[in-house]
Amino acid sequence: MSGLRSFVARRLLLGAAQTVAVVLLVFALTEALPGDAAVALAGDQPDPARIAAIRETLHLDRPAHERLADWALGLLHGDLGTSLTSGRPVSTYLADGFGPTLLLAALTVALLVPVGFGLGVLAARYEGRLVDRLVSSVTLAVYAVPEFALGVLLVTVLALRLDWLPPTAVGYGTDLLGHPAALVLPVLVLLSRPVCSLSRLVRAGMVDALASPYVAQARRYGVSGAKVRYAHALPAALAPAAQQLARTIDWLLCGVVVVEALYVIPGLGTVLLDAVAERDVPVVQGLAVVFGVLTVLLNLGADLVTHRLAPRAGVAA
Amino acid sequence: MNHENDTTDPAGPLGPEGPSASLGPGTGAEGLHTGAVSLDAAPVAEIRDLRVEIDGRAIVDGVHLEARPGKVTALVGASGSGKTTTGLALLGEYPPGARIGGDVRVAAGGLAGYIPQHPAAVLNPARRVSALLTDIARSQVRHLPRGRRRAAARERVLHALAEAQLPDGEALLRRYPHQLSGGQQQRVVLAQALLLGARVIVADEPTTGQDALTKSRIVDQLAAVAARGIAVVLLSHDLDVVRALADDVLVMRAGKIVESGPAERLWSAPRHPWTRELLTAHADRTPPAPSADSGEPVLRIHDLVARHRDGGTHGRPTTVLRVPELALYPGTCLAVVGRSGGGKTTLARCLAGLHRDHEGEILLDGTALPRTLRTRDRAQLAAVQYVFQDPRAAFDEHRPVLHQVARTAVRLRGTDKVTARQEALTALTRLGLPEELADRLPGQLSGGELQRAALARALLARPRVLICDEITSGLDTINRRALLELLTQLLQDRDDLSLILITHDLDIAALAHRIAVLDAGELVEQGAAPRLLTAPEHPFTVSLMQTTARLGRERGADVGV
Repeated sequence: MSGLRSFVARRLLLGAAQTVAVVLLVFALTEALPGDAAVALAGDQPDPARIAAIRETLHLDRPAHERLADWALGLLHGDLGTSLTSGRPVSTYLADGFGPTLLLAALTVALLVPVGFGLGVLAARYEGRLVDRLVSSVTLAVYAVPEFALGVLLVTVLALRLDWLPPTAVGYGTDLLGHPAALVLPVLVLLSRPVCSLSRLVRAGMVDALASPYVAQARRYGVSGAKVRYAHALPAALAPAAQQLARTIDWLLCGVVVVEALYVIPGLGTVLLDAVAERDVPVVQGLAVVFGVLTVLLNLGADLVTHRLAPRAGVAA
Repeated sequence: MNHENDTTDPAGPLGPEGPSASLGPGTGAEGLHTGAVSLDAAPVAEIRDLRVEIDGRAIVDGVHLEARPGKVTALVGASGSGKTTTGLALLGEYPPGARIGGDVRVAAGGLAGYIPQHPAAVLNPARRVSALLTDIARSQVRHLPRGRRRAAARERVLHALAEAQLPDGEALLRRYPHQLSGGQQQRVVLAQALLLGARVIVADEPTTGQDALTKSRIVDQLAAVAARGIAVVLLSHDLDVVRALADDVLVMRAGKIVESGPAERLWSAPRHPWTRELLTAHADRTPPAPSADSGEPVLRIHDLVARHRDGGTHGRPTTVLRVPELALYPGTCLAVVGRSGGGKTTLARCLAGLHRDHEGEILLDGTALPRTLRTRDRAQLAAVQYVFQDPRAAFDEHRPVLHQVARTAVRLRGTDKVTARQEALTALTRLGLPEELADRLPGQLSGGELQRAALARALLARPRVLICDEITSGLDTINRRALLELLTQLLQDRDDLSLILITHDLDIAALAHRIAVLDAGELVEQGAAPRLLTAPEHPFTVSLMQTTARLGRERGADVGV
């Protein structure tokens, strides 16, 4: 397994380089935006003298590369810097925003995996029959609806018209677990498209696997139907689904901006949105680091799972 | 319907246990049939008057078959004759949408094993070798108390592996199928059947496309299975293997059994004309026309060294081929022989510009050929043409064959479309594919027809060198003979054409003027075909000839049909 270990090491090194590149790019893009934190802070009184003063106190008058170098030096010591607008450490922003995001992501994944795989297996089992056509066409239709549209629709129908659920999480702060009703709509919206893509992938893989000679051999030798489906066909169908699942988790953890904004959930997406609006560069960069590391780790994990499920494919970095 | 040894006793329903004491002498590890067909052993599997119909068309009609313990029953016939449908019927499997008539009975609760042509296909790539074996064993230990089941199942699995000649079962069970050699994969599949307790095992084309060494190993293995008292039903168009193993032979054609009987009777005195044709197809050998090793070679290889880089691992590239000097003369045929993995195809791919990782010179008419397809000009591309082993993979399934064949002339010689179509039609007709066949999609042609179309497509480039890479190994004897005759004819008709035959079959190599022998990537011997086949010098060539001779040992004795 030394080949696998060196593969992981190489991927981690590559991932570190990719994260650095992301941070640099994000820094450059934020710099390129018109205005800066000083302008944002000056608010309604854009008095040039006042802006210059704010700039000086925030050290925004120093050259960009010096500010970046300072920040990077701090990062090496585990210090993500402080927010320009509030002066609070960036790490507290991340810690506060991570809770709701993680909660949403965990709930979504906990429902996504059984529903996605279940629908996929169900459709493949009845390939070409009514159940399959129903699952396939509904998943395709739902997948075509963007999150914001579905979100607005659900709020209008379930919250405003029928008044079954609260329309947003306004007022609940980060204590979302105490108000589970507020989580129903966002989780539904977050689930909608991933369930479709995952179940369609699983269905395709299962249809291939169920038609394969090795499944025929298992049936021929008296292995029961459910065991054939879940123990012999499903493992071979999992590899592409594992990759898709990793992308979905990545998407969920990196702050689902649209859904968090729509339901006013104070997660990482909201933090990111606010930080960009205020040109709060250290917070944006801190988020870029976290998102970069998450993406690298999740994809590496998915590749390892794929390697386990499709050992023939080998590994390549 | 015309079958001759209808010895079926209509009274006896099949007992749960087939072989009690009547195993007979068995076929022994020598792999040669014993001859004496003991009719006293009750059949463990029996097919009576089987009829399988799809859309009103019978693909199997009126087939009778009996599989007796310890005996090998062979079903022979060309592709599409209904062998596989009959064999799968023993397993209780039929094509989708088929209407079934007749009676199929298998002893011991219908347990039948299956050994497919490619053992890797029935091993789940995502699961360890132990997966299916454990599932089979689990179902057999349900009577035990829960706590002891796991150990008992494991015991059974290891026992079955040992019986299939896989002694180091513990380590093997933890591996994935791709980590096993082809031989080990085959034995694992056999172990599954043994573990199941199958009284009859259906082996579907187990040797097709294998080299002589692998073939003889499979023959030994099936002989050992029969020696255990298991009935083996062998579906094959490989007459060497049938000859080495079978006790009874059933000859099938178009879904019917045209002749059946004990192997040696059938071989020495075939009654049906079709059987005779099938056997002649096998015995046919065309002696090569006098070789003309004179003049300038059309193709010359000088100090060729080819490497392979393993994907993923960053190890150093391994050298897979070393050919110091090899020449091909105009109007002649060069056979490159060797075992699977010996470097034959790599050599061909270097010549065709498909394998770029090589050094040395490949000279076409004295000019060096660029190393890859991309860097070769049109004339150079046209000059070296390649026909692949699997014709189905070599055609686009969505466009008519004729269109794809004509495309060569358009692409490589700049012919206009109408002329190209005319030329393609002429070429295809000459190779025995009339227009109504040529205008179909590849899926509607048989393997043999498609391979001829592939040949026509290559010829339309007017090549100087035509590389044929195992082009007959997927075909049955009759199609194979037809294709080989075409090749010999081509050589005679077009003196500007030279052939390179890549093959593991020495019978095919005998058609060539010269033979080059590759072993583990090294060119170990080359020379004129008659000399090399009668007096091989290198030990590897000698061993190659011996394995082939072993399989066809009896051929010389009773070819006179």
